[in-house]
Amino acid sequence: MAEYREPSYAEVNRDILRTLLETGPRYWILLGFTSTIAVVCFFVPWMYQLNVGVGASGMNRNAVWGTYLSNFIFWIGLSHSGTLLSAVLHITQSSWRKAIYRSAEAMTLFSLMTAGCFVMVHLGRVWFVHWSVPIPNEMGLWPNFRSPLLFDVMAIATYLTASSIFIYMGSVPDYAAVRDASTGMRRRLYTIFSFGWRGTEREWHTLGWAYTFFAVFVIPLAVSVHSIVSWDFAMSLVPGMHHTIFAPYFVCGAIFSGTAGIVTLMYLLRRFMKLERYIGEIHLDNLGKLLLVLSLIWSYINILELFTGWYSGSSFEYEALKFKLFGYYAPLYWEMILFCAFVPLLMFWKKIRLNWNIMLVIAILINIGMFTERFIIIATSLPRKFLPDAFGFYFPSMVEISITVGSFAIFTTLFLIFIKWTPCVSIYEVKETLQPLRRRAV
Amino acid sequence: MEKNMMALFHYEDDFIAAATKLKESGFDRMCCMSPIAIHEVQKVAGLGKSPVRRFSLIGAILGGLSGFALATICALVFILPTGGRAIIAVPPFLVIAYEMTILFGVLATLLGFHIVSGLPAWHDKPYRVETNIDRFSLVLGFGPDDDPSLAEEIMRAAGAEEITELEKPE
Repeated sequence: MAEYREPSYAEVNRDILRTLLETGPRYWILLGFTSTIAVVCFFVPWMYQLNVGVGASGMNRNAVWGTYLSNFIFWIGLSHSGTLLSAVLHITQSSWRKAIYRSAEAMTLFSLMTAGCFVMVHLGRVWFVHWSVPIPNEMGLWPNFRSPLLFDVMAIATYLTASSIFIYMGSVPDYAAVRDASTGMRRRLYTIFSFGWRGTEREWHTLGWAYTFFAVFVIPLAVSVHSIVSWDFAMSLVPGMHHTIFAPYFVCGAIFSGTAGIVTLMYLLRRFMKLERYIGEIHLDNLGKLLLVLSLIWSYINILELFTGWYSGSSFEYEALKFKLFGYYAPLYWEMILFCAFVPLLMFWKKIRLNWNIMLVIAILINIGMFTERFIIIATSLPRKFLPDAFGFYFPSMVEISITVGSFAIFTTLFLIFIKWTPCVSIYEVKETLQPLRRRAV
Repeated sequence: MEKNMMALFHYEDDFIAAATKLKESGFDRMCCMSPIAIHEVQKVAGLGKSPVRRFSLIGAILGGLSGFALATICALVFILPTGGRAIIAVPPFLVIAYEMTILFGVLATLLGFHIVSGLPAWHDKPYRVETNIDRFSLVLGFGPDDDPSLAEEIMRAAGAEEITELEKPE
C-alpha cells in the first residue's frame, strides 16, 4: 500500500482548484441528465397541476396534506445537519470538520431551496405565495403571528439567509484562490465574489470573529427551525400529531437524516472528484459514530412516542397508535424502524464504519427510512382524525411521485452547479490542518 | 513619491519574526498577508477583540425588538379576537422575536465584517498571488522619519527570500 504523504500548501490549491477549473464530458452529461429529469419530472407535472388544479395530486378531504408536505419536511430535515454540524464543530474547534464542511453547508442550502419548491407546489395557487410573507396588513391580509405556519415562514427565511451568508463568508478566501488561478471572465467574476480579498491580518482577524458569530447564531437557529416545522403538526389537535415530544423528535430526526446525507455526498465527492487525500477515514469514522449516537437517540424518542400514545388516556390517540403499528401502513412503519433503528447498529463495529461502500448503503437506507417516517406521520394521522365515518386513506398520485423524483434531480443539479462555482473543500482550512510551514519545529 | 516595500517569506516563523522585529523597531505601517490565519501576526499588529461583536449584539437586540414590534403592531392594526385569546400573545410573538433576533444579528455581523475588514476593496493594492498559496508577505509603508534600509536589513536577517520596492501605496 502506498504510504500517505501529507500534501503541501501548493498541492492543496492545485488539487482542490482542479475540481473547479477542469471539467470533463462526464460532468456535462450528468448535469444535462439531472436538469432534464428536473424539468420533466418536477416542472412539467407541476405545470399540469397548476393547469388542472390540486386535484391532480392524491390530496383530498381529509388528507389535505400529502407527499408534498412529507417532501418538505424531508428536505428541511436534510438541510439540518450541514450548517448545524459545521457550526458546532467550528465552535468546538474540531479540525476534522475542515475538509467536509463546505459541501455539507451547500447541502443545507440546496435542501432548503428544494424544500421551498414544495411549499410552492403544495400551495396550489402559487401566485398568492406573497400572502404568506409577514407584511403589514395590506389588502385585508391578516398575518396570524400566533400560527406555527407563519413561524415557519420566518424561521425558514432566516435559516436560508443565515446559511447562505455562512457558506459565502467561509468561501471568500477560496474565491480569491480561484481568482488568482483563473483568467478572463472567470477572473473578473471571482474578483467580485472575493471582495478583493488579499489575506491581510485584518481580513483574517475579522473573518475569524465574524465566522464565529455566524456559527453562534446558526446553532440555535437550526434547532428552532425544525422545532417550528414540528409545531406545524404538533399544535394541531390531530391524534398521532398532537405530541409535545415532536420538537426534539423532529430535530433529532433532521440531524440524523442530514448526517446520512453528508456521508452520501462525501462518498460521491471522494470517488468522482478524486479527493481521497482530503476526505479520509477519520471523516467516515467520526460521521459513523455520530450517526450511531443519533440513531440511538432517535430510537429512544420513538419508543417514548409510543408510550405517549399508549398512556394518553385518549381513545383517539390509542386508535392512531394502533393504526400506525398494525394498520394499512404498518409495513412502512416497520421498514422505518428497521432502517433507522436496527441497521445503524452495524456501525458499532469499526470495520463497518471504515468501509465506504457499506457506509454509503447504510446512509441511503437511513434516508429511505427517514423519508418514510415523514410520509407516515401524515398518512397515518390526517386522514383518520376523529370520526370513523370520515376515515380515509391517502395515496400519492403519479403527479406527486413524479414531483418527488424531480426534487432529487433539482437538488443534484444545484449541487453539480455548486461544485463548479465554489471549491467543494475549503482550501485555507485544509491548510490549517497541515504541518505549519516553519523553518524551526514548533 | 512615497516609498513602499514588499518582502516575501517562505517560512511562517521567519515571517512572524520579521513582523515582530519591525514592529519593535517602530515600523507601524505594515500589512501582513498569509494563506492562512496566523494569530501571532494578529497579536503583533495589535488586533485584539474585534469590533464585529458590537455589530452582532446591536443587530440581535434590534432584531428581537423589531420582531416583537412587527407581530404586536400587526395584531393591533387588525384586531381579531379568537377564542378569548390575548390580542398581544406573548409566547408566540416571542418565537417571531427569536427568529428576527437571529436574522438581524446575522445581517449586522455581515455588515460589521465589511466595515471592519475594509472589504470590498477592489481597487489596486500591493498583492502577490503566492501569498494565497504558500508564501507570506509583508508590505511596509515608510514615513519621512523611517529608515527603509533598516527595514530591509531586518527582513533579510529574518529570512526574506525576495524584497521589492513598490510604487503602489498600501
